[in-house]
Amino acid sequence: MVEFKIRRYDGEKSYWQSFEIPAKRGMTVLEALYYIKENYDSSLAFRASCRMGVCGSCAMKINDKPRLACETQVLMLGNAVKVEPLDNFRVIKDLITEFEGFFEKHKAVKPYLIRKDDVYAEPKELLQTPEELNEYYIFTLCIKCGACYSVCPAAATLDDYLGPAAMAAAYRFCADSRDEGQRERYRIVSSSNGVWRCHLAMECSEVCPKNVEPAKAVQLLRRKTAFSILKSLLGW
Amino acid sequence: MSVSGWFRFKGRSIFSWSFMFQRITGVVLLIYLIAHLTYLSSLFDRTGATYEGMIAITVSKQFLVFDILLVLCGVFHGINGFRIILHEFGIAYEYRKPLLAIFTVIAVAVWLYASYVMYSLTGG
Repeated sequence: MVEFKIRRYDGEKSYWQSFEIPAKRGMTVLEALYYIKENYDSSLAFRASCRMGVCGSCAMKINDKPRLACETQVLMLGNAVKVEPLDNFRVIKDLITEFEGFFEKHKAVKPYLIRKDDVYAEPKELLQTPEELNEYYIFTLCIKCGACYSVCPAAATLDDYLGPAAMAAAYRFCADSRDEGQRERYRIVSSSNGVWRCHLAMECSEVCPKNVEPAKAVQLLRRKTAFSILKSLLGW
Repeated sequence: MSVSGWFRFKGRSIFSWSFMFQRITGVVLLIYLIAHLTYLSSLFDRTGATYEGMIAITVSKQFLVFDILLVLCGVFHGINGFRIILHEFGIAYEYRKPLLAIFTVIAVAVWLYASYVMYSLTGG
């Protein structure tokens, strides 16, 4: 039996509740949460969807570290498991946090290819070499789970900070050889809530379940942004 | 959300510890700078008596422990800051863990040497 200690929130007060789970080999934390919901307390609220580490819905703090519940095995955590909602997000209920702001920030950096010759009636093939793909490939793996944002010290002190995930998405498109919207994005990320707010604690790269390295993306974006500002000052 | 978010270390990696120490040492150095400037303002007393009186306290053996701690703050903040600057230029990001270990060892070695020199100078 494994003791599950869950931080619950009913809209007014936050409290801890414990449950005993008959854990077996291969059981994930998400399965354990479903077990609790089906057998002990149907009011337990948490987010989950794909159950295979692709959708990023089930990110939560498990034994003090942000992880995907569907990819974390119970028996790897010992006899006591502590589950909490992610930090730096407003808790709605139990393990469910408010993600609207997080996605708004993602949307704000224009995470899509911007082309001047975007004519849908005459689609054009955009060729790319493997080297050009490697420039940004790692950053395409982000599943927007919010783990990076939850450990970011800059996000902890500034609600409007774009955060590592949004800036990794911005860099992903700025480094794409097919994209022509770099200047537009540099303007957005060089705002007072953008790249210059990063303190480079690098914890975001440490907790990313997909090894995206958002901290590296922010630094590379910083460099590109600085050059862009310099170029525009010199009129190039 | 508050400044307490800078000092969360439960379940965090060594990088959060490094970040936390960088912040703390930065604040200590800022306080020191203010104290230092205040100290120097005692030179407005043209007789030099105020300054001499104050310096007699700070060069004493009893004060050495504070000086050693201050040097630790300065050395760590400077050397760790250099590591951060390297990464901020996108240099050696993939080697961040060994670099953190190397820079920490350098900081400790420099601090120990500086402490030894200071101890010797105060007649230890």
